[in-house]
Amino acid sequence: MIGTIASQQSLLLRRQHVALVGLITMLAVTAIAGVLGWSSHHTIVRVFDQAVRLQAAAGQPAPPNPFLLKPNLSLLSNMVVYIPLIGALLALVVGHLSMVDDQSKGMGRLLFTRQVTRTQYALGKVLAATRFLALTLVGCGVVSIVALLAVNRTLGSSDLGRLTGFYVLSWAYLAVFVLVGILTALLTRRRSLALLSAIGVWLVITFVVPQFTSGLRPTQSLNPLTEPAGTSQAFFRVTQHAQPLSIVEQYKTAAGNILGTSPTSPTTETVLTIVPTLIAGFGLLVLVLWRIQRHDYARSASDE
Amino acid sequence: MSESTNRILQVARHEYRAAVRSRALIILLAILVVATGFSVFIGATDYAAQLAEYDAYRAAAQAQGLTRIAPSPLAVLSLLRGAFEYLEIIGAIIAITLGYLSVSRERVSRTLPLLRSRPLTGTELAAGTFLGALAIFTTLIAATAVVGIVALGTIGNDWINPAQVLRLTLACVAALLYLSAFYCLGAIATAKAKMPANGLVIALGIWLLVVLVLPQIGDTLDADNQLPGGLFQALGLNHDGEVAVLTHFTGYEQVRTGIEEASLAKHFERFAFAMSDVKERYRPYGLPWLLNETRHDIGWLFAYTAVLFLGLRRTLTRQQPIPTGGNS
Repeated sequence: MIGTIASQQSLLLRRQHVALVGLITMLAVTAIAGVLGWSSHHTIVRVFDQAVRLQAAAGQPAPPNPFLLKPNLSLLSNMVVYIPLIGALLALVVGHLSMVDDQSKGMGRLLFTRQVTRTQYALGKVLAATRFLALTLVGCGVVSIVALLAVNRTLGSSDLGRLTGFYVLSWAYLAVFVLVGILTALLTRRRSLALLSAIGVWLVITFVVPQFTSGLRPTQSLNPLTEPAGTSQAFFRVTQHAQPLSIVEQYKTAAGNILGTSPTSPTTETVLTIVPTLIAGFGLLVLVLWRIQRHDYARSASDE
Repeated sequence: MSESTNRILQVARHEYRAAVRSRALIILLAILVVATGFSVFIGATDYAAQLAEYDAYRAAAQAQGLTRIAPSPLAVLSLLRGAFEYLEIIGAIIAITLGYLSVSRERVSRTLPLLRSRPLTGTELAAGTFLGALAIFTTLIAATAVVGIVALGTIGNDWINPAQVLRLTLACVAALLYLSAFYCLGAIATAKAKMPANGLVIALGIWLLVVLVLPQIGDTLDADNQLPGGLFQALGLNHDGEVAVLTHFTGYEQVRTGIEEASLAKHFERFAFAMSDVKERYRPYGLPWLLNETRHDIGWLFAYTAVLFLGLRRTLTRQQPIPTGGNS
């Protein structure tokens, strides 16, 4: 039964223009990340050439090759920013749409006259939404591979493994936001309030919590090469203990470790940075399953 | 007061009252207020410590009879940077939400076509809703500014002077224009969409592009941002070397600047940061120089808002009134 509900929801998502636009957007931003990576590579080559000429004219030795400082997968640095920004918003919308249409069209009332439990229903919806995101990320992965081959010319098995690990991590991170979208839709009757509450949660997770735990200003979250913020204040010495709760920071740290774009750290540390995302996802799933048992499907939600 | 002005004010009052009753808006406002308050509190706490250190240095220097004392490197207004950044990101979402709510409310309750059947022109309706939204944004921005100033004075131990108040007021006016543009965007997208919620999603997509993606691309393309710690530093180039290399990148820099220019958020940010001493290079200059330096940003802010307001007027004017009488 879970499979049936998931198949039906997948069909609805395919028909939803908003979800389709989201899918195209994700593929487009992956392509943009590739173009930016190519541009970065090209810029470094040109700046390096100019620097060599400048130093030679001044009778100084050539500067060190900057590509020795640039990891193979640094091309994907921008994806580490785009997933929490664009991907998470897409995930919210997908989760939201999975739940609200049945409510506002009165399908819930009809559906539960059949032999389907609410747990099966919720799991089917979650399965469909996360499957949609998985397919989207597979598409992004293919675009990334093409971009890496175009810029680096080669792609070793190690890099391919890292790339796969990054997208699996991203899928787990986005699943959290699918569940946020579903949960807010179950907690409110108006579509707009549900969507805006979900966006409120996203804003808090993405911008407010990192400032609280690490002193990162909102616009610093947009740059893939963020310098560590000064946390010398007594306030941050206390709040930085709450960094494991900042799942966006944990995601970025884990993604940097997996892609090899941040300083090398032990595998156990990388695993530890993934744990908060998994706990958040599991906790939200439990909340969704608990909430759906109490949801009143006799009342239609407002289309507003 | 003319009949037309009276009708515009009626609509504006209705818009204000309805917005204050919206739970969605209250939730987002609460997030903005808490985030802004927290940001200013953190900055002000740190500033108080630095100011105390500087005061101690000045007192010691004076006690030793030194006549040349280094001026304070601190800029109290720059502590409002977080507040402006939150207005740029969360404020824009609030503005889109307000635009969405003002149209969807009338559409769902079927009062939009009814309103258009009254002696109320599309221009009056657009002007009234826009004015109501301006009143809400003014309340929001003024409250944020007052909280910021009081926090700087009481926690940071540094009250701003009248010249700084003037510059802060100008930054607040820019914020008002910025939020108004996003209000119009939310209202237009909602009025044009078949289902209001889809209009909201489309407006949020545009917000994402304008506020987050375009500035991010502009930053990422910056030649110096290609490596952690700076590409030029990694190549062992000093400032003169950097300038010499960049002369070969004028076309590239034009493209990068063009991408940033397309973002309304970047124009607001540049102006607000110039007014609030966030960028050190602006600090030595007076207001006339700053206004001249940021004239393009001021022009873009006005242009975006005017174009979007005209779009709103056109969209609302095209809303069909309820047909009255007859069996057709």
